[in-house]
Formats: sequence, structure tokens, C-alpha cells
Amino acid sequence: MVELDKAPVASAIGPRRDGIDVAYWEGLKEGKLRIQRCSHCQTWWWSPVWHCSKCDSWELEWPEVPMRGTVYSWIRTHQAFVPAMASILPYVTILVELPDAGNRRVFGLLVGPEDELAIGAPVTGVIQPASDLTQGMPVLRWRLGQWQGDAA
Amino acid sequence: MSGEPNLRGQVAVVGIGQTPFYKRAQSPWSERRQVVHAIIEAAKDAGIDYRDIDGFSTYSWDRQYAPQLVHELGTRSFRWSATAEGAGGGGGIPGAIGVAAAAILSGQAETVVCYRSIAEKEFGRFNTSIELDHAESHYAAHGLVVAAQFVGFRTQRWLWEMGLPRDILRELALTDYFHARTNPRAMAFGNTLDRETYDASRWIVDPYKLYDCSRETDGAAAVIVMSAERARALTRKPVYMLACAQGNPPGGGDNLDNYIEYSGAGMSSTAAEAYAKSGLSPADIDVLQVYENFSGAGVTSIYEHGFFTRENALDVMRVENLTAPNGKLPTNTGGGCLGEGFIHGMEIVLEAIRQLRGESANPVAGAETCLVTGGPASIYSSTAIFGTEATL
Repeated sequence: MVELDKAPVASAIGPRRDGIDVAYWEGLKEGKLRIQRCSHCQTWWWSPVWHCSKCDSWELEWPEVPMRGTVYSWIRTHQAFVPAMASILPYVTILVELPDAGNRRVFGLLVGPEDELAIGAPVTGVIQPASDLTQGMPVLRWRLGQWQGDAA
Repeated sequence: MSGEPNLRGQVAVVGIGQTPFYKRAQSPWSERRQVVHAIIEAAKDAGIDYRDIDGFSTYSWDRQYAPQLVHELGTRSFRWSATAEGAGGGGGIPGAIGVAAAAILSGQAETVVCYRSIAEKEFGRFNTSIELDHAESHYAAHGLVVAAQFVGFRTQRWLWEMGLPRDILRELALTDYFHARTNPRAMAFGNTLDRETYDASRWIVDPYKLYDCSRETDGAAAVIVMSAERARALTRKPVYMLACAQGNPPGGGDNLDNYIEYSGAGMSSTAAEAYAKSGLSPADIDVLQVYENFSGAGVTSIYEHGFFTRENALDVMRVENLTAPNGKLPTNTGGGCLGEGFIHGMEIVLEAIRQLRGESANPVAGAETCLVTGGPASIYSSTAIFGTEATL
């Protein structure tokens, strides 16, 4: 089991060099999950794009999305592929399906108890504040369990 | 076959060459020296002068560029160089041979060599030297940095959707080791891996145990391709390309979290095209060589190429059925990426050619067709079918 305040990152993280996902990282600093959506046809996109190929629009927005989802798949890493992650081996990473973002999926480290881990299990997002461990950036982590916030 | 362009039977592999394989970072040679050696060996095998090779093709992230090789090889006429772009591992094999065919059939080159070389002492471990370049922040933030993890997610989902036990992965791993045991070229030559040893091995990334993972291997491999007409004039028995298809189904590409056909190998499109262009079906395939950086990727590619269903999965995917000489679906007869060695999959192309020439260490009697896959569960994949003269 990985504790939220002990979770490291594998290497320096932050917005992509071309700036396409700046709104995502700025959102985390405000305690919010923002996922990209086409302003015109409302198609959700992840990874982010410059142009919506569904409707040919260049206008994309970053609405806030409730930090709830379900486990679409998972792995448990036992090998220290990079030294930075060695302190939490073995750790579980999940692929989270976001029902409030068109079922787009995001990867995330699982923190807290792992007993209920299974495909389809509900998970709730929690933001790990920026620290030296996270190379100075806030990071979205996930816990098993139903989301307790207000429905969108 | 209507009037649509089709390379079926128009190009052939005429020569194969390789270095010995070594455990990672154990090769006494540099990457450059290895690949030059493999190319010269392939030319000898084909009965041609290596200086007459006029085209070069490889696949993503190869560090040995054709303009550097022509200096070493004394190439007389340097006319073509191209790369099948995709993931760093084996997505582009056998696509690189399709690239060679494109050069030959369009008259841009006559004799093309496809190659791969790895020497980890020189360039470090593959997954950290290369994958980290690819690991975006959205992956690195969660400790995701290597292929075993990204492919593992897809295998885990596939097993769940299919309702199959993880044991199906073990059967392919044991198949590779069974064949490697009797292949003197294989890293696992003489190794008698059994189910108990497999089960007792450590986890690398659940769903993968140690023996589900490809070896890190030093070495080089090369194949030489030319037109079928020129190939017949040479002394070696040509092995014809019957089809080559590359790419992904819609919603694929570099889309590691939201790939549409997420749970599978992402090879439904290349499988369909390879069968359509060759005019063959799974029942016509005598031998399989499937790329498997990890066992699950190999298993799902066998599924997507139509060799088993959810219902008969556990009957088909058994060591006894997958091994030569008695199995009905002999697979990875040289030992594959798990047992023979891992030259980013190029070694399975050589084994395909050996089988169809009757030169395999684990021969399949009467084999006329061999299907080769590259890059399952990857951002880019390719499928090829090879055949003997009898299939034309």
C-alpha cells in the first residue's frame, strides 16, 4: 500500500514542451481535474489535441471534471525500472475511466488500501500537493472507493 | 486479385545473416560491427556481393543509419534508405520488409537489406535509454516508464474481457522455451523450463512474471530482399512475401491510454489486410512467428489473427499444440523473443525464413506458409505472410 504523501514520480513532470496541456497542470494547482473537450461538438479528448477531428473545430476547452471513475485496467509493478520509484515497490497503477468525461481514460497511481482492487471498482481522485518527491508539481492520485462529492 | 496493386509473390527473401546472440552488454562487438557482420553473412547466404546492396531499411529507433553503413560496406550504388516508424521495439518488423518491397517494386532499389543491431554495453539498457524519452509526464507521474507496464495494462484487461486465466500466458512462454531448448542459436538452448519453475518465478509487472518477459540480448540480424524474378536466378531457395500490412485500426497510434481496441493487440486491421492480400486464411498458415516483448502481447496477436476463439482458447493455447513437430499450430519455433533472444524481434523473421527453407532447428514437416507479426499492443504494428514457391 502506497501512502499519499510518500508517492514519488519517475522523473521531472509538468506541461508538455509545446504547452498543449498547461490547463491540466494549472487545474491541479487549483485542486481541480480538467480534461479537454471540443467547444463545438462536446467530444472529450485525452491525450489533448490541437484540433477536433470529429467536427473539424479548432476550439477546445478545459472544463472541470469530478474526480470519480472506475478501474478500466491495472498493473502492479514489482521491479525498480527507475530508482525514483524503488521506495514504494510494489506499487499499483490503474487506468481510470472517467464517466463525466465521455469515458476517456487516464493513468494514475493507486494510494491507500488495495484489497478491493478489481476491474470495474469505483475510485476517487485525490491531489497530492507539490513537494520534492513530486518534483515540485501537484499530482492526481486515486483511492479505491465511491466518490463522495456532489454529482455533476 | 482485380487490378489493385498487390505485392503477393513479387519479392523474396534471398539471404539471412546474424551474429551470435549474447546476454545484454556481453557482446564483444560494437553495434556497428555487429550489423556489418550480419549484413555480410546475409549476403554470403544469398550468394551476392554485399557491396551490391543498394537499399537499406530498418524500424524505429535504430541507431545504425544506412549512410554510416555504406561507408563500412563499400556500397557501390546507394539508392534507398527508409525506416518503418512506430514504437521502439518490434512494431516495424516485418513492416521493414514491406518497406523494402515498396522500394523494389517501384524501381527505387534492387537489393535491399533489412537489419537490427543491439549492443547494450555501448548504448545502455533499451528500456531506460529509449522509453524514458517517450514517457510523457502523464505516465512518469505514476511510475510508468517501460513497455512491460503499458502492455501489461492491455493484457490484464484482455484476460478480464475474455474471462480467461492468466495461465494462457504461461503456455506461450513454455512454448518458446521448448523450442529454444533444441535451437543451438538460442539464448535458452538446453534450458528445460517447466510449469513449476515458471509459477515459482518472481513478478516483474503483474500480469507478467519473469518468464513472460523478453530477454535483453546483444546481437544483430539481417535479411536481404529482391524481386522474385532476380531471386529465382540465385541458388538459394527464395522465400516469397505473400502479404505485408502495417499500422493500426482506427483510434490506435500513439494513444496509450485511450486506444479504442484497447484490450487486444491492435492488429485487427493488419491481420485482415494480410489475409485479404495473400488470399489466405488462418487455416492456410502452417507456422506462426509472433513477436512478444511480453507473452500477453503474443497471445493477443495470435487471437486477433484468428487462430483461436474465447471458446477454444485453452485447447489451442497449450504447449502440446503450439510446439513442433506434433502440434497443430507450431509457434515461435526458434524460441521467439522469450527463448531465442530479443533483437527487437528481427530474429523471428530469420526463423520464418529457416522454416520455409527446411532449415529450422525445430522443423515443421511440409511447411509452406509462415505468418509473422510485429509489435502487438503497440502504437504501430505489422503483419506479414511468407510462402514457398508452392504457394505462388
